[in-house]
Amino acid sequence: MMKAEQVVQLIKDYVKDVKVTNERRVTAITDKQHYREALSTLKANDILHLSTITGVDLGEEISVIYHIDCGGPLLNLKLFLPKKAPSLLSVTDIFPGAVLYERDLMEMLGVDVENHPDPRRLFLPEDWPDGNYPLRKEAKK
Amino acid sequence: MSFVVPIGPQHPALEEPEHFRIEVKGEEIVDVDIRLGYVHRGIEEALSKRTYMHGLFLAQRVCGICPVSHSLAFLRAVEEIAGIGCPDRARYIRTIGAELERIHSHLLFAGIAAHEIGFTTLFMLFWRDRELVLNLREMLWGNRIHSSETTIGGVRWDIKSNQVPKVLRNLALLEKEVKHYIDVVGSDRTILARCADIGVLTKQMSRELCAVGPTARASGVNWDIRRDDPYAAYSEVPFKVITERDGDVLAKILVRLREVLESIRIIRHALDAMPGGPIRAEFKGHVQEGEATERVEANRGELLYYIFSKGGEKPERVRIRTPTYANMPTVKPMLVGGTIAEVPIVLASIDPCFACCDRVTVVDKCTGKTQVMTKAELRGLNK
Repeated sequence: MMKAEQVVQLIKDYVKDVKVTNERRVTAITDKQHYREALSTLKANDILHLSTITGVDLGEEISVIYHIDCGGPLLNLKLFLPKKAPSLLSVTDIFPGAVLYERDLMEMLGVDVENHPDPRRLFLPEDWPDGNYPLRKEAKK
Repeated sequence: MSFVVPIGPQHPALEEPEHFRIEVKGEEIVDVDIRLGYVHRGIEEALSKRTYMHGLFLAQRVCGICPVSHSLAFLRAVEEIAGIGCPDRARYIRTIGAELERIHSHLLFAGIAAHEIGFTTLFMLFWRDRELVLNLREMLWGNRIHSSETTIGGVRWDIKSNQVPKVLRNLALLEKEVKHYIDVVGSDRTILARCADIGVLTKQMSRELCAVGPTARASGVNWDIRRDDPYAAYSEVPFKVITERDGDVLAKILVRLREVLESIRIIRHALDAMPGGPIRAEFKGHVQEGEATERVEANRGELLYYIFSKGGEKPERVRIRTPTYANMPTVKPMLVGGTIAEVPIVLASIDPCFACCDRVTVVDKCTGKTQVMTKAELRGLNK
């Protein structure tokens, strides 16, 4: 079973700020340039379980958190995107299980996930107005 | 020539109305597409508009089968941010509540699986025995499913010593029956013909698609949040993580039935080892700034709650990832290559909780003609 410290060692080149809350929780901040490398490194070390992707509207920014089960510790890999044009590359080539979570992220928070194999809506109905993202603060109720 | 068979949104095989577009060539399924969201209720957003205490009750109502799992995941995250400890006795009571829930949920699944293959007698027997557990929940906490026995900082009701004999008696009855069912499921010719080598999910596929819970364990993935990220009293209670190798429908049924036996062991041990003392720590309603990602092993697998607090009485953001959501991508590899007649049992095998009914429309792509099939007709294809 992997230890929290081993997870930190794996990703340390790709993250700025790492916090080991306890043996089972690691939180790390990365950025748009490095998150895919961090995820690829984890995958190369037989860490295959992406629990989910969370998006949070922070006002000026949107944070995207990849929750990854590292066989023991749960890694929360976080990056911040400017709210004006939030976009990042799909990670479905690294974690195929991300396919629905990225669709969720696109429609609920308006994050543009590039290279997604199937960028349709997931939960929202077909006639939902474009540009109205329900989990953003300014969403029309 | 391929046909499209849309299943849903109003269809049996899912807890919520969801839409499966199944493309077939002759009998063989060649492609599957899933459309979700027909009962999207906006609960994540609604939780950020409610106080933690109020939100707890809403979180429990995300699912009509596993309210204890949802409340435990929510509580775990709130208690982590707020720094509230849970008294030891309450941790054991939470464990007992969660395991009673797992038993009734797995028996519900087993009954439905029997129903889907037309084995109605077995369906009745499973659901008859499920009552043993539901009655216990009612006796202990006043309600069969939505008993809301958990609360932030502990539990709301104690287990009294005069209730324990009844719990043990019902569990003993149930244990005997479940052992018999495991023999039946593993040897009955009808069940084997309908479930063995059907809807196979390989271990590799299961891991790549991030499957969770009994669906993953039936494919040989040895992973259980109760053991690997323990909560409540699981770190102090001995139990085995059940796995099967084959990844077919049969393995998915057997994993759940064998888990019922483990759950019975857990409850017995917890009742025996339960310490005395208070059952509830004080929670003043205010939670400081912070964030927490917490998981529990719900009946269908890893259930994840992420809570982000800016300080105050309401969370800023709550993210919920339910197990069925995680298991959705596995449906396609399980169905492709199979036949239409297998659809009900394969969809049922990830245990997505059944709700409503009963229509399949078969569309002929070339002529545009549609034919609506009832579930009875669909079952008729099995015979």
